[in-house]
Amino acid sequence: MMRLIYTFLSSAKLAIVLLVIILACCVTGVTVFRGERAWTLIFSTLWFNGILLLLVANVACCFFPRMWGRKLTIVSLGMMLFHLSFVVILGGIVYNSLFYFRGLIRLTEGEVLPSGDPQSYDTIERGRYFDFRRLKGETTLKKMHRDYRVEREDKRAAYEIAVGEGSSRKQGIIYITKSLEHQGFSYFNDREGYSLLVMLYDRAGRVLYGAHIPLQSLRQKDESYLYTTGTKEGPGSLPFPQTPLKPRFALQVAYKPSKLKERGGEAFFTVWPLQKGISSKGEKPLADGKVTVGEKFSAGDYYLAVAEVRYWVGMKVFYEPGKPIVLTSLWAGLAGMVIAFIGRVRRGKRHDKPSAISRSGTDN
Amino acid sequence: MKSDLLFFWIAVGLYGLSACCHILGLMARQQKLFSVGLYAALLGFVPHTVAIGTRWLETGISPFFTISESLTFGVFMSVLIFLIFQSTSRRIWPLGVLVMPVAFVLMGWAGALHKSAATQIVPALQSAWIWVHIIGASTGFGAVLAAAGFGLLYLLKEKNSGGIYERLPDLPAIDTLSYRFVAGGFIMYGLMIVSGAFWANQVKGNYWNWDPVEVWSLISWLIYGIYLHLRITMHWRGRRLAWYALIALMAMIVSYWGIPFTVETFHTGFRIEH
Ligand code: HEM
Repeated sequence: MMRLIYTFLSSAKLAIVLLVIILACCVTGVTVFRGERAWTLIFSTLWFNGILLLLVANVACCFFPRMWGRKLTIVSLGMMLFHLSFVVILGGIVYNSLFYFRGLIRLTEGEVLPSGDPQSYDTIERGRYFDFRRLKGETTLKKMHRDYRVEREDKRAAYEIAVGEGSSRKQGIIYITKSLEHQGFSYFNDREGYSLLVMLYDRAGRVLYGAHIPLQSLRQKDESYLYTTGTKEGPGSLPFPQTPLKPRFALQVAYKPSKLKERGGEAFFTVWPLQKGISSKGEKPLADGKVTVGEKFSAGDYYLAVAEVRYWVGMKVFYEPGKPIVLTSLWAGLAGMVIAFIGRVRRGKRHDKPSAISRSGTDN
Repeated sequence: MKSDLLFFWIAVGLYGLSACCHILGLMARQQKLFSVGLYAALLGFVPHTVAIGTRWLETGISPFFTISESLTFGVFMSVLIFLIFQSTSRRIWPLGVLVMPVAFVLMGWAGALHKSAATQIVPALQSAWIWVHIIGASTGFGAVLAAAGFGLLYLLKEKNSGGIYERLPDLPAIDTLSYRFVAGGFIMYGLMIVSGAFWANQVKGNYWNWDPVEVWSLISWLIYGIYLHLRITMHWRGRRLAWYALIALMAMIVSYWGIPFTVETFHTGFRIEH
């Protein structure tokens, strides 16, 4: 049985068959299905990744035994380096899959979250052996800078952050082409949005409650943006005040930034009875209207106001110990190709009287 | 007309002349026409370079980003590789029969898609990796275009004899040349993919996402990886590989310029964009 498997795996024809199958999958994944569908139907599936794995097993069983005992030349050295890099890349990917961590953390300016607490992250993916104790200390967003420039280049947005604890705490600015590295973790900027400090007052103007509420940015048909509570799918309302306090109504807040004044603009409030919210179409809201940022809006027994506009940011927090192995192997593989190529050209030159090339006709 | 456009269209015209001379030279079996074709290509290369240069100087932004710019640069590298090869002692006159018409058509296409230069580079493109990436992609294309050119000469010489065909190297030598250019192109595409991986890693934190542009470049690379295996492990030679090189070139043009750029990029989602 083992022999059979080995014979199957060590066939050079199998390599071509597998390469053709992978090619066909790739073509399908950019024509018939695209984007997300290609990802779910092809690239993320067990069978497709199984084929990739089979290819590497094929390299291991076919290429190396064939090269074994062959005279070491520039060409064979280069080819070995190239095919070896293939196997090492897979090793790096497998190793990484056991230990990696990928989280998306979202913070409003000034906010501090414990890095090691899974609750701090919107989403988390991790390898079986990842240890949360690696994530020490806190993650802080000090400030989001808009229209950030590095020399002449406009980086659009940059986040001033601090991570870690005690003496190993590290601060830095990250933007789209620059991440922050700290004890094996990388912090990448991902996306940002507005966060409103929404205050609740009683009729006498006393503060009852206040909370930072992050807004979604939704692209409208006319290419403009609507900044509002809700989800990526559309506007929505939320119970207000938020847990753990007892909510009194459902609230939708939207924001229209001022073109003239950074962090200024208009706030739009819509208040519904609890449980109804924006979803119950046709239902009349209890109150509905707009005020400038800082002004009070009258909503029945209460006043509402946007006291302050801040930014929130989403950051990717990655720990990927296998990545350096993969990235280094990529260069090793490329170097292998170059070495083999040089070797072949030199071998060709040695008998490079025109007639010799023509007659050799074999593997040049 | 802006000066870069004027130079651009002069280059297109000269490449067109060069393409015609090469094709007529082949049909009339006239050596002279090939010489005229080569000089027209050389002459067209000058305004081509000037067009890229002036566009660059005007804005201070390296002109590689729109499809039109990318096509223009791909053709630039292809013609450069062609001219360098033709200036060596091995000069093969009819090589331009494929290279120059393709260069002419792609340049014309670039002209049709022409847009005025951007005033700002998108932040994600402000990376040094893009240089390596673009050089890899464009020289890779130039190399496989030449390889396909040799493939065509192989097929022509197999069918015809006498005259200009006598002066061509013999079949195995053309075959080897085609293979060498495929191998070189394969390395440059490898460089394109590796630098792309480093670039993605710098910007997104992932070196590979299976996103359409990545998959398209993997497709081009695999196509030539399969070529190399057919040659080395299956000992294919000659006619079959010549056809392969020609067909692969079409796949290359589609994957490089045709479809990746029409794929809408999503992912913008939450970001504040003003
Ligand atoms: C998957 C299993 C693979 C096997 C079994 C395999 C096997 C081989 C073998 C036996 C050779 C020729 C060695 C000789 O001279 O006898 C070779 C050469 C080569 N293989 Fe692979 N290979 C595999 C995967 C790949 C892949 C995925 C690529 C990239 C597309 C690749 C690229 C090459 C290159 C570039 C050469 C040398 C070409 C040259 O130097 O001109 N191989 N391979």
